Amino acid sequence: MLLTAEQVLDGTPTATVLTVDFFDTLITRSVAQPTHVFAVMEQHLVAELGSAWSGFAVKRVRAEHDARVVAASDEPMRDVTIDEIYLAFAQAHGSSMAERRMLIEREKSTELALVKPVAFGVALVSAARARGMRVVIVSDNYMPASHIVNMAHAAGYSWVTPDDVMVSCEHGGMKHNGELWRAVIEEKSLDVAAVLHVGDDVLADGTMPASFGLATNVRDVMRRSHRVMANTSPAVLPLSRIEALYRDRSANGIWPSAEVLGGGAIALLVASQIVDVMNALKSRGVRSVQFIARDGYLAHQVWEKLRASGADLPPASYTALSRSVIWRSRIENVSEEVAHRLVGDDEVLTVERLGRRVGCELQSAKSGPLTADEARALLMANGSHIVAASRELRSRFVSYLRSVGLLDEGHHLLVDLGWTGSTMADVAEVVCEETAGAATVEGRLLGMYWDAVPHRQRVPLHGYAMNEFCGADDNVRLLGCQSLFESLITAPHGSVVGYSPSTVPEFAHTACEQRAYREVGEAIAAAALESAFRILAGTHESGVTASDISGDVAWATMMQLGHTPRRDEVELVSSVSHVTSVDHEGDGEPLIAPMPSQFVVHSELPEVYDSLMHANWVQGTLARWESDATTRWIPDEIRKLSPMFQPQWVQIP
Amino acid sequence: MACKRSGVQFPSAPPFVFGGLNYHGSMPAVTVVMRTFERPVMLARAIASVQNQTFTDWELVVVNNGGDPAPVDSAVAVARQAQPSCSLRVIHLEDRFGMEEASNRALASCASEFFAIHDDDDSWREGFLGRAVEVARANVSAAAVVTGVTKIVETYRGGKVWPVAYENFYLDEGRLTYRGMIGNNTFPPIAALFRTRLLSEVGMFDSSLPVLGDWEFNLRAVNVGGFVYVNERLANYHTRTADSDRAAGNSITVGEDLHRDVKLRLQDRWLAEPSVNGVNKGLLSISAQALLDIDEIRRHGVANGGGEGVDGEHIAHRTAEIIALRKTWRRVARALRHPGHGVRAVKRLMRRVFGK
Repeated sequence: MLLTAEQVLDGTPTATVLTVDFFDTLITRSVAQPTHVFAVMEQHLVAELGSAWSGFAVKRVRAEHDARVVAASDEPMRDVTIDEIYLAFAQAHGSSMAERRMLIEREKSTELALVKPVAFGVALVSAARARGMRVVIVSDNYMPASHIVNMAHAAGYSWVTPDDVMVSCEHGGMKHNGELWRAVIEEKSLDVAAVLHVGDDVLADGTMPASFGLATNVRDVMRRSHRVMANTSPAVLPLSRIEALYRDRSANGIWPSAEVLGGGAIALLVASQIVDVMNALKSRGVRSVQFIARDGYLAHQVWEKLRASGADLPPASYTALSRSVIWRSRIENVSEEVAHRLVGDDEVLTVERLGRRVGCELQSAKSGPLTADEARALLMANGSHIVAASRELRSRFVSYLRSVGLLDEGHHLLVDLGWTGSTMADVAEVVCEETAGAATVEGRLLGMYWDAVPHRQRVPLHGYAMNEFCGADDNVRLLGCQSLFESLITAPHGSVVGYSPSTVPEFAHTACEQRAYREVGEAIAAAALESAFRILAGTHESGVTASDISGDVAWATMMQLGHTPRRDEVELVSSVSHVTSVDHEGDGEPLIAPMPSQFVVHSELPEVYDSLMHANWVQGTLARWESDATTRWIPDEIRKLSPMFQPQWVQIP
Repeated sequence: MACKRSGVQFPSAPPFVFGGLNYHGSMPAVTVVMRTFERPVMLARAIASVQNQTFTDWELVVVNNGGDPAPVDSAVAVARQAQPSCSLRVIHLEDRFGMEEASNRALASCASEFFAIHDDDDSWREGFLGRAVEVARANVSAAAVVTGVTKIVETYRGGKVWPVAYENFYLDEGRLTYRGMIGNNTFPPIAALFRTRLLSEVGMFDSSLPVLGDWEFNLRAVNVGGFVYVNERLANYHTRTADSDRAAGNSITVGEDLHRDVKLRLQDRWLAEPSVNGVNKGLLSISAQALLDIDEIRRHGVANGGGEGVDGEHIAHRTAEIIALRKTWRRVARALRHPGHGVRAVKRLMRRVFGK
C-alpha cells in the first residue's frame, strides 16, 4: 500500500515548507495522458470549424517539439512558453495571428474543463497547511503561472495565488535540469534543510531537488495510464477516458492490470463488434445474427445481457465454426497442397496425433515422431480414408449449420474478429451450395487484411476497424498484434474441432490455453463483459457510450493496446500462449517471445523479425526486450528494419 | 457541341432522363461510374470502396467494357447482399470500347448533381464522397473538387493482391489550374468529383482517345469553373508492380508508350487549333510539360536519380518537330494568301528534288 499524505509528511518532521509538483500530483485530467487534451481540442475544432482541423492534436505535439528544438539551440536550460509553441505551429501550418490566439485560448479553456484534483494531492496540501507549513507549487510547464492558478482554483485549490507558483517557462530553467530549483531556493529564500518536495518524476522531483539538499518523495501512480505521447487523436478518447477512470480509482493502491485491460481496451473492442452489427441491422433485413466461436463469445454474452435488460435487439446465436473444421470438411482429394495445409513445415507429429487431426485412423508402417515431409506422405497414402472422414465431417457440419438456422432462407450476419475472410467465404459457399442461394452470408469483421480482396468475390465482407483500403503500414501493425487479440477476445472453451453425430460441437482441450484462461483470461473477460455492457447500456461511469464508438475508435483502441502496450500489459500476458495448429493441440507459441540469445548478431535480425511476425505479439515482445539494457538494441534495429513498428501510429493527415 | 476554347466537337450530354432514380425514388446526389474489364477481384474491392462511403446518396454504375459478364454479375450480386438497398446497376457493353466511351455510356443517363469516375482498381477512403460533396456545395462555381491522393503500389498475382509500398501523390492547388494541368495529367480520376452540368457545358469525354481522355476532359472542364483542392488524402491510386499479372496492370504502367503517343497526338491537335489571346494550346502544353519536368528534377534532386526519368533528348526532338511543323504551316498559309509565292516555292522544291 502506498503512503498516505500524513505518512509522507511524517517522514520529514523537520520540514516547514512543502514544495509540490502540479501536474499528476495536485491535479490530473479526465483523460489518460496530457496529450489527449489536444485530442479533445481537435474534437471540438472539427465539430465547430470543420474537418480542416483534423490532425490538430498530433500537429500540436509536433509543434511543441519544434519549439523546444528552437529554444534549446539558443538557451538549452530554459523551457518554452505556450506562445512559442503556437508560433512554431503557425510557422509549420501557416496559421494567422488570430488563429494562434484562438488556439491558445482554446487550450487554456480545455485544460480548465478537464482538470480534476488528485485525492492524494488534496490530502497532502491540506495536511501541510494544517501543520502550518508553507506550500509552493513548482512545475515544469509552458503555461504561465496565472493559468496554473486558474487550473488550481478549478480543481478546488482556492488558496493558490501567483506567489505560490514557480513555473519553468517564467524562470529560465526547468526542474529537470536543476535551474528551476536554483531559482525556487533563491526567490523564495528557502532553507533547503526545511523543505520537503513531493512530485511524480524521478529526475525532476527526486534526483534534482535531492542534489540541492531537499528531502523528496516521488509518487508516480498518476502516470500509470500513460502511453506514447505522440499518439493523440479524437479516436483515442473513449479508451483514454475509461483508463483515466481506473487511474483515479486505483490512485492509492495497486494497479489492477487485468481489470484495466479487460474493462478498457477489450471491452471497447467487444462493444465495437456489437455496434457494428447494430449499424448493419439498421440498413438491411437480416434473418439471423451469428457470433462465431471463439472470437464472438464475449460479444454474444454481452448481446444476450443487453436483450435480457430490455434492449431492442433480435436473437443471436453463438455458432461453433473454425477454420480447421471448414477446411477438413471440404477435402475432396489429398493433394500435395492439401497435405501442406494440414502439416506445417516446422511440425513434428505422431501418427496418432495426425489421425486425430484428419479425423480418422491412419495406416502407417512407422511409429514414433514423423517429420513434416513424412507426415505429408502418410496423409497422401491414406487419402481415401481422409476423404471419407471429410465427407462425414461435412455432413455433420451441414447438419449443425441447419440446427443453428444458418441454412434458413434469408441474409445472415456472421461476426468474427478477422482477418482475411477466408473462413467466412468458405462458409458462404457451403451455405450457398446447401440452399441453392436461398440463404446468403455476410462477414462482419473487426479487422481485415489485404488478403481479403479475393474473398470479396465469394462473400460480402465488412472490416469495422480496418479494411484493405488502409495503408500497408497499418496492415503490418495489425499483423504484429493479431495474436494478442485472438488470445484475449476469446471463450473459456477450446476451438471447435468437430461435431458429434447429434451435431453437438466438440471443443479442443488445449492445456496451455486452459491454464492461460484460468490465470489471465478469466479476469479480463469478466471485466470486459461488465464494462462492455455498461458502455452499450449507457451507464458506464466514464461517460463513454455506444455513440462514442466508431471504426476509427475501434482501430485506435487496437493500436493503443496492441501497438503501444504499457509494461504492465506486457507482463500480464507474458504467460499466455497462442495455439494455431490445425488440430489445436500442442503448446502453441508464447505471445511474448523469450529474450533472444546474447549471441544474436545484426545479420540475423531479419530472421528474428520473421519469426516474431510468424508466431508472436511483435509489439509486446519488442516492448519487453526494450526494458532490458542488454537486449534494447534489438528492438531499435528491428524498428529500423520495419519503420511501421516505431511507436507512433497516429500520423499527421 | 464545340469546345469554347478550341472549337473541337464533342458529344453533348443527352437531355435529362430518369434512368438514375435511387431506391427512395429521388435523384442520387452522385453518380459513380466504374469501368471494368476482366478484373473481378479488383472490381469486388472497388465496389466495396464505394459501399463503404459515409456519404450514402449515390448510385453506382458498373460498366463492363466488353468483358465476360458472368464474373461481373457475380461480384455485383455478392456486393448487393451486403447492401441490398444501395443503387447499383450494371451496363454490359457488347464489345470492348475505349475507356472514355465506356464512361460516356454510363453518363448518358446521369441526372445527378455530381459524378465521379472510379476505376475498378482504385479505392476511396470512406470519407471521400462526403468531404468532396461538402466542398463542392460550398463552392458552387467550382467545376470539380479534387482531394489528395495516396499512391499504393501493389503486387497482384494468381488472384491475390498485397501492398508493396505507398507514397504521397504530389498534388497542390497550382497543379489544378489550367496552366498547372496543360503540361501533364496531374491527378488520377479517382481523386475527382465533377459537377454533372459540365457535361452539357463542355461536352462528354472524347471517345476517340484510348487513354488520357480524363486529362483532355479536365482541360476543358477547368476553363468553366476551376477545380477546388481538398488537402486531405482521401483517394487511393493503385498501381501494380512490374512482376504482377499483366491483366492487372493499370493503363499507365502497362501502356506507357500508348500514353506518350496519345499525348503527342493531343498536342498536335492543339497545335493545329487557332491561338486564343495569342496563346496556342499545343505550344503551351509542350512548354508547360518541360517546366513540369524541371520542377520534378528540383523536387527530387538530380543526385537522387530524379533526373533519370526526364528524357531531355525527347524534349529536344519534340521542340524541333514543332518548329518544323509551324514553319510548314506558315508556308502553307503564305501560299494561300499569295498564290504566286506558292507557285515559286513549288518550283524551287521540284528543282531541288529533280535537279535543274
